This record gives sequence, C-alpha cells and structure tokens, in this order.
Amino acid sequence: MSPVGSDEEDLTRKQRREQARADRKAMEEAAAAGAARRTRLTQLGLVVAVVVVAVVVILIATGGGKSKTPPVVGSSGATSTQKKVAALLGGIPQSGNTLGSPTAPVTLQYFGDLECPICQKFTLGALPTVIQKWVRTGKLRIEYRSLETATREPETFKLQQVAAYAAGKQNKAWYFIETFYHEQGEEDTGYVTEKYIQGIASQVPGLDLATWSADRGDAQLANQIVTDAQAANNNGFTGTPSFLIGRSGGAMSKLEYTNGPEDPTFVNEAVEKLLKA
Amino acid sequence: MSARTLRITLIVLAVIGTGLASYLTYIHYAGIEPLCSIKGNPCSQVQKSVYSELAGVPVALIGLIGYVVILGSLLTPEEERLRFVTAALTLGGFGFSAYLTYRELFTLHKICEWCVSSAVIMTIMMCLSIWRYLRGGAPSALGAGGAVAGGQSAGAESPAPLGSAS
Repeated sequence: MSPVGSDEEDLTRKQRREQARADRKAMEEAAAAGAARRTRLTQLGLVVAVVVVAVVVILIATGGGKSKTPPVVGSSGATSTQKKVAALLGGIPQSGNTLGSPTAPVTLQYFGDLECPICQKFTLGALPTVIQKWVRTGKLRIEYRSLETATREPETFKLQQVAAYAAGKQNKAWYFIETFYHEQGEEDTGYVTEKYIQGIASQVPGLDLATWSADRGDAQLANQIVTDAQAANNNGFTGTPSFLIGRSGGAMSKLEYTNGPEDPTFVNEAVEKLLKA
Repeated sequence: MSARTLRITLIVLAVIGTGLASYLTYIHYAGIEPLCSIKGNPCSQVQKSVYSELAGVPVALIGLIGYVVILGSLLTPEEERLRFVTAALTLGGFGFSAYLTYRELFTLHKICEWCVSSAVIMTIMMCLSIWRYLRGGAPSALGAGGAVAGGQSAGAESPAPLGSAS
C-alpha cells in the first residue's frame, strides 16, 4: 500500500468518525426534543383532565346540566305526571280556581306563584295529605289565588296564571296548577314560554284546547290576577305560599306554616279547630 | 410568529378580556342593565339568572380574577415554567367559558354577547398559549432593548422543559 493511499484512507476514516459523531449528536438532539415535547404534552394532558373534571363537577353541582322543559306529551315523564295528578284530583269537584265541594264547611285560600319553588314543596309535600284527608272527604275546599313572587317578569306571570285560570273556565284549573308544580323548572331560567304553557295544558285530561286558547284572551282572568294581588296586599302577604283559612262564607284568618312547607300539620290543625268551632 | 409578537398578542387579548370582565362585574354589583344590541336584552336575563353566580361568587368576578392572573403570568419575565402556567390558566378559563356557554345555549336558551366575546377571547388565548408552550424556545423580552431577543424559530426546543425527566 502506498503512503498516498494510506493518507487518503486515514482522511476517509476521520471523516467517517466526524460524520458519525454529527449523526449521533443530531439523533440525541432530536430525541431530547421529542422527549421534551412529550413531557409538555403530558403536562397539558393532565391539565385538560383536571379542567374536564372541574367542569363536570360544576355542571353537576349547578343542576346536572338538565334543562327543565315540560315532558313531551305521551312520554314517560308526562305520563307519570298525568297519573300522579289524576290520582290526586280524580273524582274531586272543581269550580273555577276552587278544588273541593262547594258545600265544604272550611275554606283555605292558597296564594301561590307557579314558579315559586317553596310553593312546589308545599304542593307536592303537604297538599296531597290535605287533599286526601279533608278535601276528598268534603270538609275543606281550597281556592288557588295568585301572588307574583318568584316569577321575575310580570308578563310571564300573567301568561302562566291566565292560562291556569282559563283551564278553570272548564273546571280544570287544579289539573293545570298541579301539573305545573310537578314539572316546575329551575327558578330564574326563563323556562316558561308559550311552548311550555301549551305543554302543561296538553297534559290536562279532557281540556278543550281550542276553547282554552280562546279563554286566555278573557280580560276577566287578567283582572282576577289584579284582585288576587290586592287581596294579598290587604293581608300583608309578600311571600308565597301564603294562606287564609276560615269557615266558608265567614271571616278568614292568616295561616302560617311552622315546620316547613312540606309538613301538612299546620293545615290539619287549623281545619280540625275550625270544624270543632 | 415570533415569541415576542405571540406574547404581546396574548397580553392584548388578556387586557381586552379584563376590560370585559370588569364591565360585567361592575354591572353585577351596580345592579344596572348591561348594554345589549339584541332585542329583548338577553344579556340582562343571563346576568340575572341563577347561573350568574357560582357558590355565591359572581361568575363575572371569577372571570375578572382569571384574566388578571393570566395577565400577571404574561407580564412576569418569561420562562418555561410561566409559559406552562399561562397555558394551564387559559385551559381552565376555556373550560369555565365552555360551561357558561353551555348554560346559555342549553339551559337559559339566551345568548349574552359580552359572555360570547369573553369566551372567544379565552379560546384564542388558550390556542396561542398552548402553541407557545409546546413550541418552546428561548424567552422573549417585552422591551425593545430586552436582554433576550425574541424571534426564535418555531420548533426550537428549550434545553430543560418543566418537569422534564431527561
């Protein structure tokens, strides 16, 4: 082998070593860059997971993401409400906004706002016992009267209350009222729309919807709301539910609940006292 | 986009977001109607809904605090760890905005243009801050005579990312 050939061979070997070193360095840098990127992605992935969990927790804590709109007529939800309301009110006479026999010796006036959640507690908690024990037996009649408290917009309050009173012109106001409370939405969410009202009316058994729609334009029903408000004001009522009770046709006295709106004891005791008087 | 431009863009967005959240917080505590171009003022209905507060704290105030903290993380001299903090904060802000937008669309059925504006700003900030964190690079300085010049090429990696095991 010639000396020139040996030099060329050494040079090539040196170049190869440098090339290999450069390649190795490039690979190491690429590997480091890839590892860094993977680390960053992992960190962001963990943050995303924490954020998703937090959002789900907030959703559940603030109402589970449900949007309370009336169940579609014929759906299991609507059928369930209709069954409950029918079982509660079936066979009890109604007249206008009054539930119970016209000759019942005691009258209870219930001032409520259909969007009021405390009224819902009373209606779903205490009222079934009261209806079963006193109304169904002909000893008590209940007049539903309106007082705007929870409903934010007066127009909405009028819309829903006139709709209830319009059902009363077919002696089905209590079906409307009970159905509304059973399917009441979350307060202040603006859930009461024309569609919602129509959905409630559709669940009232035997309600002639065409007649009901026409009756909603009756000015007397709107006037009834004003009369209710004046009566509430005269008695110093500012919240709902509020109650007046007395012998039918006689003087009425204020009645207040003591153990919470779900407990019917306060009504039971007042009725018993009036029946003995 | 250079690192400096990216950072300045994020700061501008955070300032706008802070302004929006400040206005909504003021509206909430002053009890006045928000300006709204949509008929029927759905902004007011959204602002007065039960979802305008979370555990008794106005969501506008939560948003304001969020924007201020994000702004603070952007104005602090830049480093790898702070880029991660900014990205994490904007991810949290995006999640919260998504929750509020969900409530507007599917619970309240009302849209507040102030809230939507804030949600859009937060979404852009999240995208930019994640991009900024993932691409790495040397820190940028805000001042013209900053110690470290911006303009690192995209894809350049910093030698030691936060929590790197390498």
